[in-house]
Amino acid sequence: MASRPTSRIPKITPLDAVILTALAGVIGYVLFKAATGLNYHWKWEVIPQFILRYDEGTGNWRAGLLTEGLITTLRLSVWATGMAIIIGTVVGLFRVSPSLFKRQVATTYVGLIRNTPPLVLIFIFYFFIGDQIMTALDVDGFVRSLSEETKSFLAVFFGPMNRFPQFLSALITLTLFEGAYIAEIVRAGIESIEAGQWEASTALGMRRGQSMRYVILPQAMQRMLPALAGQFISIIKDSAIVSVISIEELTFQAQQIMTTTYRSFEVWTTVLVMYFILTFFCSLLVRKLELALQRN
Amino acid sequence: MKLFRLTTLLTIFCLAALILGPAHAARAAESSQLETILKRGTVKVGFDTFKPWAMKDKKGDYIGFEIDVAKKLAEDMGVKVEFVPTKWSGIIPALLTGKFDIIIGGMSVTPKRNLKVNFSLPYEFSGMSIVASKSMAGERSTLEDFNTPGTKIAVRLGTTAAEAAKNFLPKAEKLYFDEESQTIQELLNNRVHAVVASNPLPFNLANEYADQLYLPLKEDFTKEPISFAVRKGDLDYLNWLNNWVRVNMSKGWLQNRYHYWFFTNEWENQIQ
Repeated sequence: MASRPTSRIPKITPLDAVILTALAGVIGYVLFKAATGLNYHWKWEVIPQFILRYDEGTGNWRAGLLTEGLITTLRLSVWATGMAIIIGTVVGLFRVSPSLFKRQVATTYVGLIRNTPPLVLIFIFYFFIGDQIMTALDVDGFVRSLSEETKSFLAVFFGPMNRFPQFLSALITLTLFEGAYIAEIVRAGIESIEAGQWEASTALGMRRGQSMRYVILPQAMQRMLPALAGQFISIIKDSAIVSVISIEELTFQAQQIMTTTYRSFEVWTTVLVMYFILTFFCSLLVRKLELALQRN
Repeated sequence: MKLFRLTTLLTIFCLAALILGPAHAARAAESSQLETILKRGTVKVGFDTFKPWAMKDKKGDYIGFEIDVAKKLAEDMGVKVEFVPTKWSGIIPALLTGKFDIIIGGMSVTPKRNLKVNFSLPYEFSGMSIVASKSMAGERSTLEDFNTPGTKIAVRLGTTAAEAAKNFLPKAEKLYFDEESQTIQELLNNRVHAVVASNPLPFNLANEYADQLYLPLKEDFTKEPISFAVRKGDLDYLNWLNNWVRVNMSKGWLQNRYHYWFFTNEWENQIQ
């Protein structure tokens, strides 16, 4: 652990107090205007049932619609992160490869993805490319051929299996998109390792692959981790984009509820808080990870 | 390195063969979509949430007029029904790329849509209406009153309400939104004079916000045929759907359901 100053009792100067009061005043005023000046009938009592509801049929508590959406968002994010790390690492290694061919393939991929809006990418993939792949692999038929037990088991990981082809389309698009960013993180991580490390490992008689595996990557990984963890938080937020292809994640569920109840502000506020709690929790984990990995 | 390049090329070639091969084979052996549905044992229905056509209830199940129609249709076919909620703006491309077998979502027949999809006989008729803000629109009570350069009208993108606004109110300024709730919010915030939408939405809004909103027109200003949409080039399927509509119209089943969802509030407690 690096030595950090022990916590002092913070002193608040009069100036600080004035600034804080002014800020609180401004925020309070905006909230007040929002609540009163919008000509909107607030009905917060409709929200709790979408977070947690009592199922009369079975007599126990079930996840509400928004909570279900949040779970789908998490599923999507976790899978996309795992797959994007694999793709990103491979492409990142290609980016620093001595072979021109590999470098060009990787540069093309990263360039294409990073310079197109994700929304457009999602549409193109879902309607044109994804469709072809799904048909070729007969994903639909495969899902139908599964037994009920298998389906309910897989549903834990992928959500309702009858919507699996859509889920897969969304997952692949999200993975490709985030993979490009992770590739850049990996490349930067590898390039940040001092040339001396390369020279030393070469001096020990290692070939390039060996140096990469035993000397460079372990050190680079450590430098990449905070950035990768930050990318995971981005993935959670970016997953909202797939609501346009009707994946039932948090944003999509929110829109459906709004169409049904016309309670747009209450629902959007709830969704905002839900996303915030999720990503804030991740941020705390990332902070812990960074501290744990700090070396002197 | 040569080896690597060769493998890459081979992989791409195999993928292409995989994708193109079965697709052609399938096309050659393809019969009616009806057969496909029966073989699968499930009919996939595309729709988007519109109150009261299709909505999510508290449990997360879909309810509404279109949902009843879809369930009955599947029952008469002897198959299960699978609902595929799809954003309205992309619902026709989704049908064309085979994400589902049929659109049952309160889709009005328009010649432009008909160029891309086939429509069955109409199974209901819906009407357009206007709901306006009292403070903004004040005393206006005819369509002509709203057809002025200073008037702002909010409509949902890709709906026939948007078309109707273009045709009936060419001089007014139209603002397009992706969701109906956004158009309503614009109206309540007095940023637009009126919202054009299919009844019963205007009617219900004027009731809920009686102090701010009103219905300028006493009657619906359009009467639009609503039909099932399916992919082109499938006569058998279309014939079955047309006769399904004929039969259920003559029995009065469709009218009965329409009345329940559009003119009663018995179902309100299921959604909030």
